[in-house]
Amino acid sequence: MPVLGLRAIAKPQNGVGAFILQCKRLDFHYCDWAGSSRGMNAFIKSSLPAFAKRNPAIEISVSPRPNQHPVIIGHYINGRQKAICVRNLTNEGVRAKAELLRDASGEKNRRVTKPVSSLNESVRGIWSPLHGARIKI
Amino acid sequence: MKRIRISRCGSQLLAQPAPRRPLCPYAAGLQRNITPHSQRIQSRLQSTTATSDEFELEEGEQAQAGRSRRSRLETKHTPLEALPSPHPSAAERSSKLAALRSRLSLPQRFPLQTLARTLVHPSADPNPAFNNASLSALGSNLLGYYTTEHLLCNYPRLPMSVVFAAEYAYIGPKALATIASEWGIEAVAEPGGEVDPGLLQFKRLRPGDDVPAALRRQAPWKWNVTTTHKILTSDEFGTPTPFGSASLPKNEPVPLEDSAQSFVRALIGSLHLHLGRPLVKRFFRDHFLSRHLDLSTLFDFRTPTRDLSRLCAREGFEAPVARLISETGRLSRHPVFIVGVYSGKDKLGEGAGSSLDEARVRAAAAALKGWYLYKPVEVTVPSSTEGELDSSKWRPNMVDCGEVIV
Repeated sequence: MPVLGLRAIAKPQNGVGAFILQCKRLDFHYCDWAGSSRGMNAFIKSSLPAFAKRNPAIEISVSPRPNQHPVIIGHYINGRQKAICVRNLTNEGVRAKAELLRDASGEKNRRVTKPVSSLNESVRGIWSPLHGARIKI
Repeated sequence: MKRIRISRCGSQLLAQPAPRRPLCPYAAGLQRNITPHSQRIQSRLQSTTATSDEFELEEGEQAQAGRSRRSRLETKHTPLEALPSPHPSAAERSSKLAALRSRLSLPQRFPLQTLARTLVHPSADPNPAFNNASLSALGSNLLGYYTTEHLLCNYPRLPMSVVFAAEYAYIGPKALATIASEWGIEAVAEPGGEVDPGLLQFKRLRPGDDVPAALRRQAPWKWNVTTTHKILTSDEFGTPTPFGSASLPKNEPVPLEDSAQSFVRALIGSLHLHLGRPLVKRFFRDHFLSRHLDLSTLFDFRTPTRDLSRLCAREGFEAPVARLISETGRLSRHPVFIVGVYSGKDKLGEGAGSSLDEARVRAAAAALKGWYLYKPVEVTVPSSTEGELDSSKWRPNMVDCGEVIV
């Protein structure tokens, strides 16, 4: 048996072949009575059908939550949730928050210091002091 | 070996002829498109499937199934909880299914009823007309075919054990379960007719219980299992026992991974039946081949220096010689040696190590990887010419004489 195969799993690269939207569900909670839900109620009545039509990959559920502030909860493929309270926001403000949840990846927010991360090794290679011409003093 | 036309694999022919629930209207349309050879063959097909070992129901179960079939006919009076899996008509109303379809960028003409059926594992619904066993068998073969042709055409010199490992990495059981979770598939707590059809329906293994023996895939060790033996008798991953839920007893609880795999395979099978070959190939390229796999990490050489010298002797190269290219700190605590393996004036490989021997072995392994991972520039896979009349685009693929045998 000169060579054996090691078992591994191919790593995912979302967006290289197919792109899977990471937000899979958005829950909209509103209150019929409280004033802080005024913008949310206007959003649900006027803009939500268009929003749902533009984003067919997201399952949308609307449910009342009496005597509470309105909230949007996003459920993500990695199993995490993100909730944003949208009290006293206008229709436009609620839409902006919904789009923010839609575009999020579900990961925790973290500061990105290196803009590029790659699974492929560097094309140019790593500099080696042991190769190339010797320096003659 | 039974012979069933590939497009019939997922059709309702595998079911008992008596009607139960309303059948999928799209499947009926599919059946109409196929021109039958003759009535006799059709009836033979039905009879063989009825007596096949894979889909036969046991006697006691059959009586039970008959009872449930009768009760399912009166759908209006039967509560949904009595059904083992969701009713096909519920698929149109499921927002989870519609979201899943557009998340995977499937076209609108792919029916939601079929997508719902791919999510029903045989452990939830033992009836082959409503579970995904047949679609899963078809999808498994398609996945194996497309992956194998990709690997063999692009890397003609790959050793067989590495081909097995690469197949496992792309479409192995663990890879498929990972893919299903990356698609956002959620599982039911308990299958039934009243649950949302957008959830994966299967009977859960309770925590602490043993995995059923059919799924454990442990064959007794044999001294005479060679690579040739694996090619002939094992599945595409070199695993000796045939895997999959086909041999599983009905209504047996299974782990989540197994039902998730069967969903992915069944989805490929149903895409093939509903949307055709080109779209399945595109789907496979986008979702499976686009994943990152570094084939050079799958090699595990035992004696690379000996293999390399045998390879050079076989190919008529000069015998390989290891030469020290550079070194630093020979007498220190952490020396570094750079060793190259040369055949005549050609450098075959290079390796770095903290001892001369380690560097030499690494260099020989790098040289062998350079040979085995050869990739032709232009490749036409066999499936690219399927169904096309002119074969002018076909370029014969390179066939190598194989790995070094020591």
